[in-house]
Amino acid sequence: MNYDFNDKEFNLFVEIHALIDEFAKNKNLESPDINTSTKNIRQALALLSQTPYLKLGVEKTNDYNGLLTLMGAMEIVAGTSPSLFLSIETSTRIFGRILSTWGSDSQKEKLLNPLLNGQIIGTVGLSEDSMNVDNDPLMTTAAADGDKVKISGHKQYVINGPLADWIAVAGMMDGKNVICLVEKETPGLTIGEKTSTLGYDGVAISRITLNDCTIDSSQVICPKNNKDMLNTLKLWENQILIGASLGLMKTAFESAKDYSKKHKTGGKPIIAYQEVGFKLSDMLTLFQTSQLFAYRAAWTAEADPKNAESLTLCAKVFCTESAEQVASKAMKILGGSGFLSGNPVEAAFRCAQYGQITGTSTEISRVKIGDTALGAMK
Amino acid sequence: MDFAFTKEQLMFKKEIIRFAKKEIVPRVQEHDLKKQFDFEAFRKLGEFGILGLHFPEEYGGSGADVITTVMAGEALGEAGVDGGLTLAYGAHTFLCADTIFSHGTKEQRKKYIPKLASGEWIGCMGLTEPNAGSDVASMATTAEKKGDTYVLNGSKIFITNGPIADVSVVYAKTDPEQKHTGISAFIVDKDTKGFSSGPNLIKMGVSTSQTSELFFNNCEIPAENLLGKEGEGFNMSLQTVEWDRSALLAPFVGAATYMMTRCVDYAKSREQFGRKIGKFQAIKQKIANIRIFGEAARNLVYRIAWCKDQGRPMNHLEAAVAKLFVGDWSLGPANDAVVLFGGYGYCHEYDMERIFRDSRLAPIGGGTSDIQKMIISKLI
Repeated sequence: MNYDFNDKEFNLFVEIHALIDEFAKNKNLESPDINTSTKNIRQALALLSQTPYLKLGVEKTNDYNGLLTLMGAMEIVAGTSPSLFLSIETSTRIFGRILSTWGSDSQKEKLLNPLLNGQIIGTVGLSEDSMNVDNDPLMTTAAADGDKVKISGHKQYVINGPLADWIAVAGMMDGKNVICLVEKETPGLTIGEKTSTLGYDGVAISRITLNDCTIDSSQVICPKNNKDMLNTLKLWENQILIGASLGLMKTAFESAKDYSKKHKTGGKPIIAYQEVGFKLSDMLTLFQTSQLFAYRAAWTAEADPKNAESLTLCAKVFCTESAEQVASKAMKILGGSGFLSGNPVEAAFRCAQYGQITGTSTEISRVKIGDTALGAMK
Repeated sequence: MDFAFTKEQLMFKKEIIRFAKKEIVPRVQEHDLKKQFDFEAFRKLGEFGILGLHFPEEYGGSGADVITTVMAGEALGEAGVDGGLTLAYGAHTFLCADTIFSHGTKEQRKKYIPKLASGEWIGCMGLTEPNAGSDVASMATTAEKKGDTYVLNGSKIFITNGPIADVSVVYAKTDPEQKHTGISAFIVDKDTKGFSSGPNLIKMGVSTSQTSELFFNNCEIPAENLLGKEGEGFNMSLQTVEWDRSALLAPFVGAATYMMTRCVDYAKSREQFGRKIGKFQAIKQKIANIRIFGEAARNLVYRIAWCKDQGRPMNHLEAAVAKLFVGDWSLGPANDAVVLFGGYGYCHEYDMERIFRDSRLAPIGGGTSDIQKMIISKLI
């Protein structure tokens, strides 16, 4: 047992913190303007590719503990910009892990290396119209046509949709789950307009439509453990949302703490009042508990994979719900200034809603955790 | 970071659960109902080695590390041992025996630790007073040096094991003019003239533990019963906090697992509307809540234990976070467990209501949740 990150990991966190902090200066990383966010993401990917960050959890990295190190680093990036974080992670940790886990050598050579060098942006199209991927089969279909494959279907809520160079589209082919790698200008692929959302203003989210979208058969990935493909994709998504929650809590807690020390009322800083001090105590308790939960879930994903899904769901529920509570308490401490648009706490509060409804929603997560505990039941 | 337990630790945990389920758990409900201390169960804890687990073998212990010791507490809770007995064990081993072991002379250790480790003697610790709870420095109990004796006067309250203890570690002011630095710690044997304990206080939960006042009326003890030096008492009491935030919280973590197991068994057997209630999402949600709390609390408690094993000075912030979380966040899951059992959950026949009552001590004992919040808000 060891509750410390090692020196290498610690130094990496310092390096990432310095890089991303410097990068964030004088930039609006939460800008809803798609050109601005495209530029920001490409620059950030190029910057982070100078560190091992992009490779964590995707490729084996010596001296680092894969997902565990990643979880510590995620908090830093997500704490700087939730939008930048979500875009980078969707590209790197979902699109990237699809390639590294299931991709062929040629697919890896063609796409994974440029991805990890920060040269391309990827995404995944998973969620479909009027369907719940937890219960129903995918509606998007892929059909062989000679040495080509034609894809048809709709995907919604595609993060990075309008700006991704490559999209990994999940669908069914010959009764099996497959993933089709679709380049952005492929005929038959239509990218929708950027959707307006409650939070994550700087993330470009859109629908995509595939209408006999034709790709080379070499661009189709057939995961070996086919039935688990959707669960695996959800697991990766949940891990990202856990990391995002840590970042949101960090931002909300630090902002509220700083404010409570500077803002005075009745001649003393408001932190001296129990109503404020006790709120901060609850916030820190949720934050620290979430951190440890996140680290153990990440550790379990590699050390004890068969228990990873359920524990990750537990961590996901706890961390995402805690993020909302911490952000809400931070808003109350900041008072009117926390309500102003552009305040990081206000943004964190809005973003915190997303974590609970996406990935495996907290409601479905609890049902699944219950199912795991109950086991087979007639 | 590495969250793995060793194979030996996991095997030991299984052994404790097996032992407790066989030797202790069948006796729990009856003793809880009668609000009686289970002397036989306590003796069996001693025989199994749990009471002195972390003490060196030469003092009758097993030389276990802190993580293994904390794991023993979790295992007792997981087996279904009541909070009263685990509290009695905690007060005995960590608040009394460990204070003597950590700060006592060789003679004091030899005299007390083997008998406390075996369970032959029962120990308690007297710190809280009727008018000095969280504000320890305001304690009124005094210890006046007279020749080669100290004379104690005053009283203590809410003392776990008070009515049944053979030996007490008692905090008193040797310099009433001073605040924290005027506090010293003493060992008081139960037959000492001028020392007495009150009747068992009837409590909401942890009913099998016996709680009382302690009275010191010109209670004269040998000067050699001073622990450490005069004025060191407050720091000694602070050092017990590490155990308080790990070993004493561990049974609550185990109890969460126990609650979940019991809820799962019940949900798989109880039928309503033509199907097992475990099929209903509302039941699954409650089971999930209990598991999530247990997993979250486990990480916090073992973090304190691991740091102690590393010999690090206690991180008061992390300790307060652990205590606050277990205290304040355990109410929901315990309530979920009672509600899941419906009417049965409200009846003593099923032990969910006992666990609910036992869990209510968590935000109060060993420093209330409000005190933890005061500590955290000061440290940040």
